[in-house]
Amino acid sequence: MAVATRPSAPHAVLDHIHPEPESFVRKYIFSIDHKVIGIQYMVVGLIFFVISGLLAEVIRVQLLHPDGRFLGGEQYNQVYTMHGSAMVWLVIIPLVTGGFGNFIMPLMIGARDVAFPWLNMASFWMFPPAGLLLFGSFLVGAPDAGWTEYPPISLLGPPGTSMWCAAIFLIGISSTLTGINFLVTILKMRAPGMTFTRMPLFVWAQIATAALSMVATTALAGALAALFIERQFGVPFYDPAKGGSPLLWQHMFWFYSHPAVYIMILPAFGIISEVLPTFARKPIFGYKMIAFSSVAIALLGFMVWAHHMFTSGMVPWLQLPFMILTMIVAIPTGVKIFGWVATLWGGSINFSSAMLFAVGFILTFTLGGITGVYLAAVPVDLHAHGTYFIVAHFHYVLFGGSVFGIFAGLYYWWPKITGRMMNETLGKWHFWTAFISFNCTFLPMHWLGLLGMPRRVAVYDPQFTFWNQFASVSSFVLAASTLLLFYNMANSLARGKKAGPNPWGGRTLEWMISSPPPYYNFKKVPAVLGLPYDFGNPLPYLGLDNPQAEAATPAQTGQPAVAH
Amino acid sequence: VAQLVNKPKTNLGPGFWPVTIFLAALAIVSDYYVIVTPLSNFLPEAAVPADQIDALFKFLTVVGNAIFIYVVGYVVYFSIAFRRPKNAPANTIGIQIHDQPQLEFWWTLIPTLLIVALAIFSVVIWKGLQQTQGDVLTMEAIGHQFYFEFRYPKLKASVRDEMHIPVNTPITLHVTAADVLHGFWVPEVRVKADMVPGLVNTLRFTPTTIGQYRIICTEYCGSSHGKMIAKLYIDSQQDFGKWFAKEANIAASGGGGAAVALTSGQKDKGQALFGQKCSSCHSVGPYNQIIVGPGLGHLFNDTEHKQLVDGKDVTPENIAYILHNGYQGQFNGHAAVMPSAQANAISNEDIANLTAYLVSLSK
Repeated sequence: MAVATRPSAPHAVLDHIHPEPESFVRKYIFSIDHKVIGIQYMVVGLIFFVISGLLAEVIRVQLLHPDGRFLGGEQYNQVYTMHGSAMVWLVIIPLVTGGFGNFIMPLMIGARDVAFPWLNMASFWMFPPAGLLLFGSFLVGAPDAGWTEYPPISLLGPPGTSMWCAAIFLIGISSTLTGINFLVTILKMRAPGMTFTRMPLFVWAQIATAALSMVATTALAGALAALFIERQFGVPFYDPAKGGSPLLWQHMFWFYSHPAVYIMILPAFGIISEVLPTFARKPIFGYKMIAFSSVAIALLGFMVWAHHMFTSGMVPWLQLPFMILTMIVAIPTGVKIFGWVATLWGGSINFSSAMLFAVGFILTFTLGGITGVYLAAVPVDLHAHGTYFIVAHFHYVLFGGSVFGIFAGLYYWWPKITGRMMNETLGKWHFWTAFISFNCTFLPMHWLGLLGMPRRVAVYDPQFTFWNQFASVSSFVLAASTLLLFYNMANSLARGKKAGPNPWGGRTLEWMISSPPPYYNFKKVPAVLGLPYDFGNPLPYLGLDNPQAEAATPAQTGQPAVAH
Repeated sequence: VAQLVNKPKTNLGPGFWPVTIFLAALAIVSDYYVIVTPLSNFLPEAAVPADQIDALFKFLTVVGNAIFIYVVGYVVYFSIAFRRPKNAPANTIGIQIHDQPQLEFWWTLIPTLLIVALAIFSVVIWKGLQQTQGDVLTMEAIGHQFYFEFRYPKLKASVRDEMHIPVNTPITLHVTAADVLHGFWVPEVRVKADMVPGLVNTLRFTPTTIGQYRIICTEYCGSSHGKMIAKLYIDSQQDFGKWFAKEANIAASGGGGAAVALTSGQKDKGQALFGQKCSSCHSVGPYNQIIVGPGLGHLFNDTEHKQLVDGKDVTPENIAYILHNGYQGQFNGHAAVMPSAQANAISNEDIANLTAYLVSLSK
């Protein structure tokens, strides 16, 4: 019966399973299995997360005192430059695309791997060298002009600035290749019957992200190559003294880096859109609107880059289209937020750690989104640009958004990835300490900036001392709260309860197979009959012949999961 | 369940409308306080676009605050109202509703209308920022590592780290930079422009409140970026006139007091002054004995460094030139700055004395 429902799928091809490699190296190091690669991304990304987080704490230690007694100006500039660069390129982007995208997306679409497994391995293996190159720059003099590295000062910067170029170039290639890989995978390798409007929302988020990575990153690569060539060989691209243009860099940098913001946040949107229905035991509210808004945000993402440059110098009238297009981004974003809130309504909400982070995400991301509209309005941006208001805004989006999304995803998929449960009590402690200390750290930065504190300063006016100290102390609590997560993960690996295939009663395909999933993912590729979010209805899959899924789901979903 | 899907409106739950009305009250009260509280309570408005920018800021806050209150309010209310009871059977599910086209229509349309209103309001204020009024003072600000230089029409010398402008006179300020990017921001004026080498950006504002304010660099410009702050004096017309006349006098006399012959310098006085003004950055040892700048003890007999740091020959006149104008450029493989005589507060007589002392060390 199952076979009959896949008219276009050659039975023999779908049922052929490659044998698992035997050697340790091929299995765990140079693996082409998307799940192993996903875990590799997560492990390396979380290590870089710890290092970059510690750099953030160094920044906050420096800012305990208005006259900055801890570091000299130069070391301080290196620290925040490395913090920003690493968090963007070595932590958030690799975790949400390389990590969660690799592990979860192929499972969700019923595929046995990504389209190009060897390319996937190549993508991953550019990531640790890029990280070593970036952090290695500390040995020769780390870059110090901020993660944006605006010329001409980045042309004069320490030797490590060239290593920064090379590192980001490398991770950019990795990101582009992953984008191509995921795009082809999602377009061509969905299980029979999984039409676009039956794809889980995390997959929608990944396809939008993949398209962004593939197109935008090339602009960054060009800009970086030019910066590197100008620094090393003196070919003038950006130095105005030699006929170059500093604004050329800014345009190319932001043509990538604004889409990069969506590369960092769209997968987090996807994670939230999976966690909310599972724990509210409800379909996501307005599936099509949420899916469509991901695509709309991705498209608009290419047309708003110069809103980062309202004070940089451009023909004045050009500010208006960028302002208005940026404001329009608020509409699809609002649609998503309202859909998430409505998903909570009428639910039977189980506040697991993952759900707490997802709900916390809605609150913090909403604030980050609203302050984004302030910055879109040119006249207000003329005041707020380059101040701590910006720092507050993007930490609400990137920490309160992306990182909370990563935390939610870790708690949600950890049992699937490792086969073991995390301790929920510790997870809830992690949420509450992180949520409160996050807000105490970054909320005061809004008014610090509006009242006159510029960003990237090692010293500041004494009138701002109290709120800086308040933010610093809160950030120490935030760092400590993250230790709870790492302890929880280690504890779970050592003696966590066995998870079983589907501990949360999820209905997307990854929960239909054992935890951790077998090498081949699906013994028989299932056929998909509908959306995965109809709790209480029979599962919309045909041909699932994994007995573990059937054994585990009834108690959670309320319905026998026997596949017809 | 089927019934709920068909009639979602009638089953919003007992608390929904009371909560909605409570949130409306909260939004109205807090928005009222946003509207009646002048932003100048927190940060003074010292020039004309500040009030308009604050009006736009308030509009954004009124709308954003209401949206934020509703999102947070509903999230908290739904989280409490629809929390799964501890003893609920594991197979309890929520109401299986997929969407509600009317609701989605409204929550797309209303934000769209708000965005249209915001865009119109922003464009109106933006237009005001572009306009030039009649009798303007046009001047220039130039960013350097790590100070601001200001140039006035009819004033031959430039002024450093102090910007004086007369109250109620429209200002057109052209900004640029000499070395790397800098930013020009006066929080009380609410406007900002990047100072870009090779490019001139323009700011327009009309100062309205006499006082002293801070000009802050807002683009990263190097190790002392955080210390790059100048003073903005919004003077009465009279005070501005007096200040301008004084500066014009100084400029006419050669910029910094009476002219002094270099040969009149006394090396003992120079030595004393070196200890006060120079020794924190320069040693009197060989070139390579670097504190911040090079050692200055062997200026005339250093076979490795036959030129001064600016590439000129080692002569008393060229030494005095650096003492007077300072130095910005490359030193020891990185960008370096030595402050000018004005920043170091040394007179022409001091320069002559210092030159005599430096010459005496190696000649």
